[in-house]
Amino acid sequence: MYDFIRGPLISIAFVIFILGLILQLVQFFKLTQKKEWVYPPLEVKSEKKTVGQWIAFCLTSLNGTLWKTDPLVTIVTSVFHVFLIVVPIFLLGHNILLDQSWGLSLWSLPELITDFLTLVILICVAFFLGRRLFLSRVRVITTAYDYVILLIAAAPFLTGYLAYHQWFNYDTVMTLHILTGEVMLMTIPFTKLGHMLFFFLYRFLIGNEYSFAKGARAW
Amino acid sequence: MANQEMKPIDTKKIREMLNRKKGKMKRYLSHCAHCSLCAESCFLYTEHNKDPQYMPSYKAIHSLGKLYKKRGKVDRKVLSEIKGIVWRNCVLCGRCYCPIGIHIPSMIAFARSILRSQDVYPQLDEISSESWL
Repeated sequence: MYDFIRGPLISIAFVIFILGLILQLVQFFKLTQKKEWVYPPLEVKSEKKTVGQWIAFCLTSLNGTLWKTDPLVTIVTSVFHVFLIVVPIFLLGHNILLDQSWGLSLWSLPELITDFLTLVILICVAFFLGRRLFLSRVRVITTAYDYVILLIAAAPFLTGYLAYHQWFNYDTVMTLHILTGEVMLMTIPFTKLGHMLFFFLYRFLIGNEYSFAKGARAW
Repeated sequence: MANQEMKPIDTKKIREMLNRKKGKMKRYLSHCAHCSLCAESCFLYTEHNKDPQYMPSYKAIHSLGKLYKKRGKVDRKVLSEIKGIVWRNCVLCGRCYCPIGIHIPSMIAFARSILRSQDVYPQLDEISSESWL
C-alpha cells in the first residue's frame, strides 16, 4: 500500500487529473456553441488612458465588485486561490522530485517563503471553515459535502506543513501528504473543485454581462 | 387555482425537461462553491434584512437543485414550495453576481419553466395581491 501510494498512484492521479480536465473541456465545447453575436466589451477600448487614468479607472471599477461588498473575503479568497496553485508548483521539494524523476524542474521559491505561504493557505482554510460554521448565510447552504471538499483542498497543505517541520511520524505524514495530494488531483475534474477549470470557461467563454472577455460561446 | 391543485404531476415530463438541460444546469449546481458571495448582489436579500432565503444561491439550490436531487420525482407540495422561491423570492431581475460565473437567473428561469409545465404558477388575475403565493 505504502509503495503503491508513493509509486504508481502518483502517475494514476496525474493521468486522471489531466484526462478528466480534457474530458470536461470536450464536454463543455460539445454543450456550447459559438455565438453569432458577442456582448460589447465592458469598457471602451479605443479610449487611450494615461497611467493615472488607468489607476483611477481600476479603483472605480473595484467599487462595482465584491471588493466593495465583502473586502475581507475578497482578499482571503484571492490569496488562497493564487497560493494554492503557486506553492505546490514552485516548491523546492516538489521540483527536486521532478528533477530526479523526469530530469526537469521549474524555478523554486525559497523554502522559508513556501513554508510561510503554506501557513497562509491554512489560515485561509480556517477562515473559510469559520464562515461555514458561524455565518448563517453560508451555513444555510452548507452540506457535509462542502466540508469534505474543504478537507480535500486543505489536507495536502496541512500534511505538507507537518512533514516539512517533521512533526509526528515523518514517514506516515509524508505518505498521507502524497495520498491527499493524489486524492485532490483525482477529484478536481469531477467535483466542486472543478471550478478551477470552469471559472475560466464561465467567466471568459460564456457571454454575459459579468464576463471578463467578450464571451464568444453560448450554452 | 382549483384546476392547478387537481391536476396530477407529470414526473416523466419533469424528468424529460431536466435531462434536456442536464449538461448545463448540473454543472452550474455542481460548481457552486456555496460561498454566499452572491448574496449582496440581490436587492431582495438586502431589503429583507439579509434573510439567507433570498440569497441567489439559496434560491437556485432549493428550487432547481431540489428538482435535480429528487430526479423530478416531486409532488405538488414540493412544487408549491419551489413556486414561492422562484416567483415570490426572485423577480428575475438578472442582477445576481457569481464570482465563479454561474448564471443563476437561467437556473431560476428554468425552474419556472418546469413549474409552468405542471400548471404551477402564480395566477395574479384570480386572487388578491396579498395572497397570490
